[in-house]
Amino acid sequence: MKTVAFNLMPYKDLPADFEKKYDSVWVSIPRTLYDPRKGHEYYHDYLDALETAVDLGYDAVGVNEHHSNGYGLMPSPNLMASILSRKVRHSDTTSVVVLGNSLALYNPPIRVAEEMAMLDVLSGGKFIAGFPVGTSMDTNYVYGINPSEMRERYYEAHDLVMKAWTTDEVFTWNGKYNQLRYVNTWPRTAQRPHPPVWIPGGGSVETYDFSLINDYSFSYLSFFGHKYAKKVMGPFWDRADALGKDRNPYRAGYAQFICVSETDAQAQIDYEEHVKYFFAKCMHIDPRFFEAPGYRTVASLRAGLRSQLDGTAKVGKAILDEGFGWKELVESGYIIAGSPETVREQIVEAARELHVGNLIWLFHCGSMPQHLTLKNLHLFAEGVLPHIRNLWPEWDHRPFWPSGFGDPTPDTRRSAA
Amino acid sequence: MAEPTTHTYQVNARLAIDTLEAGSGEPLLFLHGAGGLAWDPYLAALAERRRVIAPFLPGTSKSNDISQVRELWDLTLCYYDLLDALGIDRADVVGHSMGGMIACEMAANDQSRVARLIAIAPAGLFDMNDPMPDIFAMRSAELAERVLVDPNSPIAELLGAMPDDVDEQVEVLIQRLGTLNAAAKFLWPIPDKGLLRRLPRIKAPTLIVWGRQDGLIPVSYGSTFRDSIPGARLEVLDQASHLVQLERLPDVLALTWRTLAGPGGSAP
Repeated sequence: MKTVAFNLMPYKDLPADFEKKYDSVWVSIPRTLYDPRKGHEYYHDYLDALETAVDLGYDAVGVNEHHSNGYGLMPSPNLMASILSRKVRHSDTTSVVVLGNSLALYNPPIRVAEEMAMLDVLSGGKFIAGFPVGTSMDTNYVYGINPSEMRERYYEAHDLVMKAWTTDEVFTWNGKYNQLRYVNTWPRTAQRPHPPVWIPGGGSVETYDFSLINDYSFSYLSFFGHKYAKKVMGPFWDRADALGKDRNPYRAGYAQFICVSETDAQAQIDYEEHVKYFFAKCMHIDPRFFEAPGYRTVASLRAGLRSQLDGTAKVGKAILDEGFGWKELVESGYIIAGSPETVREQIVEAARELHVGNLIWLFHCGSMPQHLTLKNLHLFAEGVLPHIRNLWPEWDHRPFWPSGFGDPTPDTRRSAA
Repeated sequence: MAEPTTHTYQVNARLAIDTLEAGSGEPLLFLHGAGGLAWDPYLAALAERRRVIAPFLPGTSKSNDISQVRELWDLTLCYYDLLDALGIDRADVVGHSMGGMIACEMAANDQSRVARLIAIAPAGLFDMNDPMPDIFAMRSAELAERVLVDPNSPIAELLGAMPDDVDEQVEVLIQRLGTLNAAAKFLWPIPDKGLLRRLPRIKAPTLIVWGRQDGLIPVSYGSTFRDSIPGARLEVLDQASHLVQLERLPDVLALTWRTLAGPGGSAP
């Protein structure tokens, strides 16, 4: 198994009464709550932590994109990845993942092809490109993209970026949303034919199929842990079978909060407050922004609505509102927490159950101070990482992981297209 | 009251449009708002004197899918195609809210197709100094408060009650969300798609009607419509919000008949 040390970069000092006083951590979060001096400290602490993860030999460090969001302070994850690439280039083990750029938000989308090619070159071909469709909050409400055009824009931008990466001739793009007379992306990517692509997503069948058909790795990004993820990973592997794809676990990853301490009891002492901060404040999202009309297809709506109306789908904050404490968060799998032994057992069990090769490890949660973040990174590296590395020895990770610089002679790098 | 009948017209190679129709006489096209098409008392009253043709916005009825229409300009062309399919050269057009915006587009883009124009609290503008609220980030209770002066009036039932059965709830919500999905295509993220530049092109005699307490589209927008459309009249009714044609039914009907009795547009 491969472990990505992944950081959302939350704002750690939201007021104690935030969830009572304000409507939402996302879209409409008051701007005045942001203190740039604290922001300065956070950015550098978070980058220090990610650089420590490189030193400790994690398989990758990861960042992602959010907008007007109090738990994700990276409107531009590429800026953070570019800083990290300075250290990643010297590492024998660690890649950098941007998970990712919401393609429909970039105008023109070749901006993504350019910036990610820069990251690939900067890191020395150790870059993984993530292409999320993006949440409704980020894409429709904050960035104003028409929900009825989201997927079309996403697919068109994807096709354009991939063609820009794999075509050596100048070409013209005549799309519905993008018209470009001269597409000729400099720099070229370091990896051939292009960096590995990961598709972070929720539970839509369209996204499973898109990942599988293109041989991209699918990453289920939720904050609700491995038990909740079963609802998604089961159907994902069913689609893999239906489409005749192998069950290489590296086709998939999932996100998980994991908190490691000396003992199970100490884990609660160390992390409880900070985990609760995340679920109480960072999941405080105004339901009016959950989903713009047209964001989901009618078929997906029909499936989702039923479980919402009959009460079988309860997530995040709703569960906390029912009095979830540390014990329940652990038992429900929202977090994996405890001693290195406890944690590694649970990770192995979860990974086997979900059949995933990529662990997107949320190593920082909510309001965790820097010393705990570093403790978590160190204890995991010493007591967990060595025990989970060889979980899938029979499977080859390479189709989904960076390969370094491609072949060096320009003449041999002709586009396959 | 005549019950409306459902009709389907293949308006062009790509699109079939469903309509509700009732009455006889001179044709009158009614374009509904973002809440969807319901055969309400205003339409029933219009059908007593006219042949009322009320198309469902593409994406809100059985015969089509919203992806078949590309954007507002394409939609306007499809409504001209609908008139062609009906064999109507020129029609009186009444539109409410989003439908008022589309009616204005029809009158402005091809001045020969709309005889008289009645726009009831039309969408299509956005004033940053007097912003309208976001209808796509609104709970249903909030919506009722914003579109009615009295959210507890019987008119509120037209906004739709929720059945007890979960399966029926799903279908009601799917229908509502489907309508909102289609409306969002033309109104996202705000309804200003450049209509203000085109309003001066309108040649049809025009009546603009607004509820003074409109909680969705501020009444100040009414003045902008009046000032931008040559010769347009603005009637602002008290004790009415966004569903003014239902909240002040007799008065809006009287204004409607008076406008429809006047001369049609000079074009072509």
